[in-house]
Amino acid sequence: MQSTAAAPADPTALYERFAEDAALAERLGFASVWSAEHRAWYDGWCPALVHAQAFAAARTERVRFGHAIMLVPQHDPVRLARALATLDRLSGGRVDLGAGLGHRDAEFDMLGLRRDRRGRLMDAALDAIAAVWAGERGDAPPVQRPGPPVWIGGMAPQAIARAASRGHGLMLPQTLRPKELRAIIGDYRAQAASPGTVGALRDVWVEPDDARAAAFRRKVDAHFREEAGSWWVLKGQVGFSQPEQMDRQLARIYDTEVVGGPAQVAEELNELYAAGVEFLVLRANFDFVGRSELREQLAALAEEVAPRLEPAAARAA
Amino acid sequence: MRLLLEPPGAAGLDDLVAAGDAVLAAGLDGVLLAASPELPAPLVAAAALAARVPSIRIAAEVEVGEAHPLEVAEEAAVVDVASGGRLILVAAPAPGREDRAGEAMDLIRTALAPAPFRFDGPTWRVPAALPQNVHNVEERARVTPSPVQPRLEVWGAGAAREAALTRGLGVLAGAGDDPAALGAAWEAAAAALGPAAIGAARARREPYDGDPAALVARLRAGRAAFGQSWAVVAAPPAAAMAISRRARPRVQTDSLPDGLEAHWDATLSP
Repeated sequence: MQSTAAAPADPTALYERFAEDAALAERLGFASVWSAEHRAWYDGWCPALVHAQAFAAARTERVRFGHAIMLVPQHDPVRLARALATLDRLSGGRVDLGAGLGHRDAEFDMLGLRRDRRGRLMDAALDAIAAVWAGERGDAPPVQRPGPPVWIGGMAPQAIARAASRGHGLMLPQTLRPKELRAIIGDYRAQAASPGTVGALRDVWVEPDDARAAAFRRKVDAHFREEAGSWWVLKGQVGFSQPEQMDRQLARIYDTEVVGGPAQVAEELNELYAAGVEFLVLRANFDFVGRSELREQLAALAEEVAPRLEPAAARAA
Repeated sequence: MRLLLEPPGAAGLDDLVAAGDAVLAAGLDGVLLAASPELPAPLVAAAALAARVPSIRIAAEVEVGEAHPLEVAEEAAVVDVASGGRLILVAAPAPGREDRAGEAMDLIRTALAPAPFRFDGPTWRVPAALPQNVHNVEERARVTPSPVQPRLEVWGAGAAREAALTRGLGVLAGAGDDPAALGAAWEAAAAALGPAAIGAARARREPYDGDPAALVARLRAGRAAFGQSWAVVAAPPAAAMAISRRARPRVQTDSLPDGLEAHWDATLSP
């Protein structure tokens, strides 16, 4: 839900489109639709994901809604728990909480929070959310018991330990290579008494034509260059002032994004399964992607890529 | 007078949609959603209802004073955008936080304006300018997206009413509140506000026992003593059509030509 410099859009139409895209994903057999939170950005980036998801959940029947990720430390945990419980009830138990830390100082500062306390805030919030769902404040129990599944986003040792110790799922970032995924997943499984599901994000684009695939990669680069240049802290400075660092980060995105014909896309995604990933959250939806393009991508993923994925039990989100 | 339906005890999406559909079919103005044990976040329920029922206004009663008001403002903005500008935000104090209701409403409304802002209140300072936050920190905060409504409708309910009155905001009184006392409080606030009081919603919750005539009597009394302009009627969806046919037409204009009510009574099916 962004109206960017590259792709301006009517704000209300963005939410309508989100609901329509979710319904299309449902018809195509996707398991779930995942959304990312940020706030206080020029483009209207949705800061209230649960509300946007309630809008789309009311127009769908089967597809689930998750966060990749929700900036949990930036929310009042009781309020967030109740919002999620309400969505859980309205959707008939179709919500997953994807919990991440957040990284922009401006977001924390606006809310009177110290970014360097975000880990502690996260642990306290996860406890408080579980307490609300357990009825300790008089709320009715959620449809899903003991509550919506929780996924911990991130790749830092603290995130792995948090997910492992709580028995939550793991949602790993899109820029990890298979070898790195294998190591992190190994750590997680070694630490967790009862490990949850291991998910990973991936930017993906089904395009057999080399020239068109290259054009897509250039647009992705411009998209992430805006975000990295504005937000990412690289060597203690913000991105645009660190062009070499930024190039290095964007090279990693180039390296890990999955672009090609259906067979090639499936092959690269199967490498992720082979590395231990159990659940893939595929992103083809960027601000610059038109409506018909997105619909074509979703159809290609569902009809041409998904049948080639292994193991057969794996679900593509 | 505009009429909202407050359906009893919505426990799921079907209940919400049934209420919204009944209100739309009956030509009432909208619904008010309050927290229930099953649906403790009325703004989330409002978003779901907006996806299924067009046109109607959706009022959501939200606790203020505990969570950061910017979080409430963001949620309200998103629901207003998703609904195409149909939200009424009804602020009621969180238990024990009655003293913060005015500040919370001030911060919410400041944040909903489409300009970067600073806010320095007894409880909340925005941006906080904490020394630990150093990278690209803003000197003024901006909440996005902006609501569709240029000035999103904010009402005060419960112990937030006094704060709302003194700010020229809408007030939602309870069903048991005496119209004369409400009218006196309104007049006092309006005298202090001057023209800033013009247009502020004066709403009251209304019980409904199935008798439209009793509702009309209450609404006329509220209008006479309180200048009541909105009514929130606690009634099941099945009552929406009777309310819209038998009560709504009788409270729109100041008076009705002699004989019209008798004509309606003779010709309208119950």
